[in-house]
Amino acid sequence: MPAIELTHLTKSFSAVKAVDDVSFTIEKGELFGLLGPNGAGKTTAIRCMLDIFKPDSGSVAILGGAMTEAKKDCIGYMPEERGLYQDIPLDRCLAYLGSLKGLNRSEVRERAEGYLERFDLAAHRHKKVKELSKGMQQKAQVIATLLHKPELLIVDEPFSGLDPVNTQMIKDLLREQREQGVTVVLCSHQMHLVEELCDRIVLIDHGRVMLYGELAEVRRKFAGNAVMVKAGRDLPALPGVERVEPVNGAVKLHLAAGAKPQEILRALVAKDIPLEQFEIAMPTLDEIFIRVVQGKGESA
Amino acid sequence: MIKILRVAFQEYRRHVFNKRFLLGLLSVPLIVLVWVGLFFLIVSMENNTTPLGYVDRSGLLADPLPAPDPEPPFGPVPMMAFADEAAARSALEAGEIQGYYVLPADYLSTGKVGLVYREPVKGPARQQFYDFLTVNLLREADPAVAARLLEGGEITTVSADGSRSASTKDRFNVLLPMIAGLAFMIVMFTTGGYLMQAVVEEKENRTMEVVITSVSPDQFMAGKIIGDLAIGLTQIALWGLFIVLTVLVGRNYAEFLRGIQVSSQAILLLGVVMLPAIVMVAALMAAIGATVTEAREGQQVTGIIAMPVWIPYMLMALFIENPNSPIAVVLSLFPLTAPLTLFIRVGLTIIPAWQIAVSAIVQVAAAIAAIWLAGRIFRLGMLRYGQRLKWREIFVKN
Repeated sequence: MPAIELTHLTKSFSAVKAVDDVSFTIEKGELFGLLGPNGAGKTTAIRCMLDIFKPDSGSVAILGGAMTEAKKDCIGYMPEERGLYQDIPLDRCLAYLGSLKGLNRSEVRERAEGYLERFDLAAHRHKKVKELSKGMQQKAQVIATLLHKPELLIVDEPFSGLDPVNTQMIKDLLREQREQGVTVVLCSHQMHLVEELCDRIVLIDHGRVMLYGELAEVRRKFAGNAVMVKAGRDLPALPGVERVEPVNGAVKLHLAAGAKPQEILRALVAKDIPLEQFEIAMPTLDEIFIRVVQGKGESA
Repeated sequence: MIKILRVAFQEYRRHVFNKRFLLGLLSVPLIVLVWVGLFFLIVSMENNTTPLGYVDRSGLLADPLPAPDPEPPFGPVPMMAFADEAAARSALEAGEIQGYYVLPADYLSTGKVGLVYREPVKGPARQQFYDFLTVNLLREADPAVAARLLEGGEITTVSADGSRSASTKDRFNVLLPMIAGLAFMIVMFTTGGYLMQAVVEEKENRTMEVVITSVSPDQFMAGKIIGDLAIGLTQIALWGLFIVLTVLVGRNYAEFLRGIQVSSQAILLLGVVMLPAIVMVAALMAAIGATVTEAREGQQVTGIIAMPVWIPYMLMALFIENPNSPIAVVLSLFPLTAPLTLFIRVGLTIIPAWQIAVSAIVQVAAAIAAIWLAGRIFRLGMLRYGQRLKWREIFVKN
């Protein structure tokens, strides 16, 4: 049973189709990337998943069926724009949000204690939320999302505003959640982080699914006929190479149609070129994202 | 249900333990204290217990009966007899008396009395001298008749069915329901304002998006309305307690406070008309909060609700003239105007039971409709930023 299943989901606001016939499945226990440029329809899709918006057509199955009040206690959601009560102390804010997820006072206190220590916020628990820095509020929001130990976690841009240390902390936390069997849906523009963390992705643009599947498979699909080579000295002219592009101290060899990487490798070995790196050039998720959004990719 | 109560408690706690609420709460006691202070200031200015003199040439006060005790809080003014005006004048010059009366020989036939003073003699002291004269004029009369004349009359108007009466001594009872109605209106819009402000803030800082993934919009709104109602009732209860204490203490000093009665019809109106009205206004305020993007915009929209609510105050003169006029009856049945109209009328007339019953049914129905409407508006408008909700969407879409 998938954690989330969207089937031909459509949602419009006036004349604008925010989500247009979107279908994808998020399996239980996976770390899934929901990608797309600004205004692509990601947030609307998430709000439909969470039953905040009713779809115009299509259906959403979450944790095995329609959303119920009981299921809400099993879901943790962190929206892109942070939502914490600014004018009350942090511990009271966490206590209230935790209580709405069905936790009693002692459970909230016990769990918040651990997270506040882990996120270096214990000394700030009595401060009003508005007195905390942006990064601290970000971490507080993460705590509020995890406090009730959700089995499905939907986090929208969890890394924005965080320094490298805290970014690493959140990355570790998301991996930890996945290891504990929690399904994690990660919405982010930071493609290198998605690439690092996610098993599968869906890319939405203009409300439609543009890419969907295993991350490695998607990258393979977008890989051109090219190899990355790093050698001990300058490369000679090689048969079958159309263009040479320097990339971070290495070179990317764009191959002619019909030319095979094995032939290039053989030629390099034959010419006794000392090789430090030789690999099939795979596009980064950033490159794939730009190609798809700029209309150079193909629809899933 | 538990989540509704948690939302309600959070709403209550957030506003009640807040400086703004405490200031609002203290405003009424503060106003009452200012009134009481002014009252005692005026009393102390009027309360001069320096003796009053008199020169009696009529023989009425040759062997006088003492003056009756004055009404509190005024102190008794001793009456000093002088043999002639010269002695009285020198006592006045010496500051021993505040003034002296001269009763001419023909006083009993003319009723004329002269008063000599340096500073005008205040009303309470003059009243004590007149009572002193009256007691002595009535010394030959039956003591019961004399006492009755001194105490004065009290005319009580009683309704034909005997269910209600109004006395000339308790005119304050006419004003009391009007004041209570006004206080309720203030509470209704103050607490409704808190609710709207809270919803706008939750929308602005995106807390709402987090909260409604934990509770349904209906639960969220129900919790907010319950919390709002509790805030309003807290405010009313604390104001009421303060006013009751003030009346209990004040009735020892001010006669008009002794005749205060709380009419059973007014209490009935509180329960069946005012409470549903508070719920209705709270629901509408929550709906406004969910549709606007900032608090100022919400306050402008609130004016649309507030305007009809205050219409009865504008028509008060009309109601006083004829509290059972057709317009008074119509406004008693219309949801937004009913609370104030009924509270003004209840001090002036006996409102027919059917009118209260119909008004209560209309009010409860309006509150339910407002909650339903607000629920829909809330669901559609809560996460819409910078885009107005259309009426068609409210009634057509999911």
